[in-house]
Amino acid sequence: MTAQQALLANASNNIANVNTPGYSRRQIEIQTQVDPAALNGLLRIGSGVQLGQISRMTSSFLEASLRGVISNQGKAEVRNDYLARIENVFSLTGPQSTVGSALNDFFSAINQVSINPSSLDLRLNLQQTGEDLVSTIRTTYNEIAKGQDELDARVPQEVEAINAFTKQVAYLNGLIASREAVGVSAIDERDQRDTVLAKLSEKISFNAMELQNGMINLSLDNGFPLVSQQTARSLSTTKDPSFATGDLPNSLSDGILCYVVYNYGTDTEPSHLDLTKTIKNGEGSLAGVLQLRGYADPSNTSPFQADGELVTLAARIEMLTRTLLTNVNQAYRGGDENAGTPSFSEASSADLNGNPPGVFGLFDFEFGGIKDANNDGVASASDLAATGITSFSRMLKLGFSAPEEFAASRDSNPIPGSTSFQSGDSRNAQALLDLRNTTFGFALDNHSFNGTFDELYNATVSTMGSMKASAQIELDVAKSSYLTASNKRDEISGVNLDEEFANVIKYQKAFQASARMIKTAKDLIDTIVSLI
Amino acid sequence: MTRVSENQSVRGLVSFVAENKRRVNEFSNQLTTGVKVSRPGDSIDAGVISRYQQQIGRIESYSNTIAQAKSYLTFQDEVVSQANDILVRAKEVAQQGANETLDATARGHLAEEIFQIRDQMAALANSSYQGKYVWGGSDDDDPPFDQLSYTEPATGNANKRYVFDAEPGTSNSKSIKVTDDISVALNSPGQKIFGASIEVLERLSRALAGYSTTPASGTPDGGGSAFTFPTDYHTQTQEIKKCIDLLNTARDRDLIPERVSIGGRLRRMETGEALLELSKNSAQEVLNRIQNADETEAAANLQQAQTALQASYSVTAKVLRLTILDYV
Repeated sequence: MTAQQALLANASNNIANVNTPGYSRRQIEIQTQVDPAALNGLLRIGSGVQLGQISRMTSSFLEASLRGVISNQGKAEVRNDYLARIENVFSLTGPQSTVGSALNDFFSAINQVSINPSSLDLRLNLQQTGEDLVSTIRTTYNEIAKGQDELDARVPQEVEAINAFTKQVAYLNGLIASREAVGVSAIDERDQRDTVLAKLSEKISFNAMELQNGMINLSLDNGFPLVSQQTARSLSTTKDPSFATGDLPNSLSDGILCYVVYNYGTDTEPSHLDLTKTIKNGEGSLAGVLQLRGYADPSNTSPFQADGELVTLAARIEMLTRTLLTNVNQAYRGGDENAGTPSFSEASSADLNGNPPGVFGLFDFEFGGIKDANNDGVASASDLAATGITSFSRMLKLGFSAPEEFAASRDSNPIPGSTSFQSGDSRNAQALLDLRNTTFGFALDNHSFNGTFDELYNATVSTMGSMKASAQIELDVAKSSYLTASNKRDEISGVNLDEEFANVIKYQKAFQASARMIKTAKDLIDTIVSLI
Repeated sequence: MTRVSENQSVRGLVSFVAENKRRVNEFSNQLTTGVKVSRPGDSIDAGVISRYQQQIGRIESYSNTIAQAKSYLTFQDEVVSQANDILVRAKEVAQQGANETLDATARGHLAEEIFQIRDQMAALANSSYQGKYVWGGSDDDDPPFDQLSYTEPATGNANKRYVFDAEPGTSNSKSIKVTDDISVALNSPGQKIFGASIEVLERLSRALAGYSTTPASGTPDGGGSAFTFPTDYHTQTQEIKKCIDLLNTARDRDLIPERVSIGGRLRRMETGEALLELSKNSAQEVLNRIQNADETEAAANLQQAQTALQASYSVTAKVLRLTILDYV
């Protein structure tokens, strides 16, 4: 009867925990009772039933594969969410302007100005499309940079959550080992530990190894022990790692990207071990965050030397900006083509008032220092480098502030050193228009692209699209594998109410039968007693 | 035997319902916006869509430019055609004036009409479009022909002299792009079109009015003196006859070719426009195919997704209602 009661109790426990996350159904093993005394007799009738062990119906292999898909899903979710946000600045519909449409409008406005170069209306339109172009470039770049900043800010939060989980695993390791060492079952603790491990795997991928004493050791792919027995190693984040010797890599918004490290030293005298790359190459939401955000070795200081999808996108925009600032400004200002040898100190174009444009006359950037460092009158990459600015897209502005300041005309005076410009001349505007179909060799750090402005933008949209689409596919795959893996796990570990109810009835019947046996025994005794 | 636990069946049912809901949402979005691909991640063709959109945007801007340029050229065509007409009239007058039956006074009366024609010609050469002088080259804020004077007579109509303003830039012409590869000149330098006409009209009117013009051939330099009659009567006739030839030259060499050229440019623009329209249509067609939702298809898909959603609701409700407790 006690055995049947225990079975009933177990079934009701299973039913009660049908919705508990991570709960593995339990089974009580029952076996026939072995009575050594009966061996001496002639007949071995048996001496009843005996309760065996309570066991968790679980498979460590299925638990591990479930953790694997949870990690994949964690990473895919982060990537998909952030890329979906960035994707909006490359919209293919709607009224908001994209870099592509703004470029088109700007060049169209230049062609319109050519019809009547001294018309202030057409020039005003050009100025507005120009303002629109630079602000769209700035917005697009800043959106990407903001995405990177948010991801960077998420790193410490993720790391904190990971530390909380590893601490729990270490604590549960201790409980399980101490219980099981004295023969007490620790199945609830094991369930809890599996739940914590599942939560941890959503953040980071790790290798788990169960020891003889029931403890689980966790390590990263490079062998770094996250949890060894009862010790959890807390990770930390820093923007001032001890392994960096010089300047650190910049973020897209000119900040510093944080590193995920383990500190072997003290707070005052840190000795950091860089784990960023290892974690980034794994799975889990932290890996997703780091992959999107990008990682650069400490010696690379340019924000575009980092890898990561956001960096690739931002680099495309920055290449466009730098070409506008250099090649386009050069063409716009020109060198006095009538001066024999090109003498760039003298511009070959002029605005409506007859004034030559500045070195950064069409596209300019917010900067207080000297822009044309070598003072040669040519906006060149070396001038940009000399300013020490890491990303120009954030500071891009239009080089002229009044409609009449757009230089549409070219010098028509054949005498070197002397110039004359007419208000109705649009040859400079037409020359600018040619740039629309010019193939540029865009290059920035390890990014490069050969093509026209439009082609660069289209390729960027294409890249953005395939990044987002692949993130979506990864997410879909991760979701469906999660479904499969958790179904596999529940096939073994999940509670089936029908089964439990059937068991309850079975055990109840057995209990009733046992009770009936007692009554039968009592009746037998009563019969014997009545004989006396 | 596969065990199916409660969690498994609930999870499965919920994910089917969620997927069907997502599909209903997707297709109803397609139907309401008419667009299948609105963000780059919606399709692997995002780069292609962006390229076609740019192509169409560019074509539209060129079409715009062409429309403006066409009205500019049509205006020029009208002006040059008028110039041609009045030159024909001037020739008639000159032929009449060359007749030696007319005396100097009668010729003087004819001169009055030529003065009018000359002024009209100068006004045509100085015509402006949207406030800018058409034939001023890139110097379109100044009238291309300035009014000066002849030394003799000191006053009156025969004193008026029109000279092309040869400032830098006046010999340039404006051009615009009508497609990526084709640039079309919008105007020609005024001297080339009207210079000879104005010169001969001046020469003719002065001759009819009784004044010689120096040098005897080529561009007048502002000099010349009054004829003395009857001594110079024959010289006057010769001068008028010479002008008839010059009028022919001015028409044949300058005005008519310019009309032809304007007509040719207009035709080129129209061809360009037609080509742009054609490539816009084909680009639009491709874009529609890859970016826009096929309404019939989307509606059918929506119907299907709705049916699937209803089915999954009904299955979920049925499966979840099943319990052994109802039977014990």
